[in-house]
Amino acid sequence: MIENFISMNGYGLFVWLSFAITFSTCAIIYYKTYKTMKKYEKEFAKELEQLSVSERQLVLEKSRIASQVLASYNKSI
Amino acid sequence: MLDLINPSRIFHWIDKLINFINSIFFILLLIALTFALILSPPDYLQGDSVRIMYVHVPSAWIGLASFTVIALLSILNFIFKIKNFSLITKSIAPLGLMFTCLAIVTGSLWGKPTWGTWWVWDARITSMVVLSIFYILFILAHKLIKDEGKAYKASNIIAIIGLVNIPVIKYSVDWWNTLHQPASIKLDGTSSIHTSMLLPLMLMLLVLLLYCALILLMKYKTEIIRIKRKNIKRI
Repeated sequence: MIENFISMNGYGLFVWLSFAITFSTCAIIYYKTYKTMKKYEKEFAKELEQLSVSERQLVLEKSRIASQVLASYNKSI
Repeated sequence: MLDLINPSRIFHWIDKLINFINSIFFILLLIALTFALILSPPDYLQGDSVRIMYVHVPSAWIGLASFTVIALLSILNFIFKIKNFSLITKSIAPLGLMFTCLAIVTGSLWGKPTWGTWWVWDARITSMVVLSIFYILFILAHKLIKDEGKAYKASNIIAIIGLVNIPVIKYSVDWWNTLHQPASIKLDGTSSIHTSMLLPLMLMLLVLLLYCALILLMKYKTEIIRIKRKNIKRI
């Protein structure tokens, strides 16, 4: 039964290869996109931390996005 | 109304949506794969090779739908000059290209056992290749043009020109004699596909759409952070 499932009545190579290519491509793109997002988040948070206290305060007050990125970065470390 | 598409407002929901999709994704994927590879019956003519349909068809649909969305948003962007639309189209394009290429590759893998050839310059397949070229041009416009405003304008023009190709792909199987079979699923209710095959197809489509949403959200978030980072001193 398992042999039949793997061979797919002679079409196994085509079927398994199609699924493998699709899902491995999806996994690679997910990994790359996630890594890039985290890299940008980290760099942005670091730049925010390099600002003087008053400048940072001003940026965080004016930009909701900046404060969220900094909060999520601080939570992750 | 326009405030709803304000990046600051959307940004707040992105992490929540990403976490939600992550929490249900693998369960749905497991169910969809069980249906596609085990529970669905083999085709009376094509045998088990029909299972390739469960990745080939959703990939092709997503490739087509992504370009249509990109082109429509580009038209709206030309009229209303909403920068957020450009960020969205830029985030969708790599996904669309990926799924168009997957549709071509899995189609080729399906073609060998059913048509006896990996490749043929058939109207449907050729028009899909043309679509992938439009995607590549769209992405290259963003990569090669340094001035952001000009890059957005060029990519918008490419998307609008490329829109002409979408009906060509859709109706290529009706307009020309092709090896590719005509559509089995029609919105007017005259579908010729059995429920036992339609269910896994829809489940796989749902899984891949969730995947698209996940990648789109992450790419969009990255784009917003990139812009905010560039303007940090101006904030």
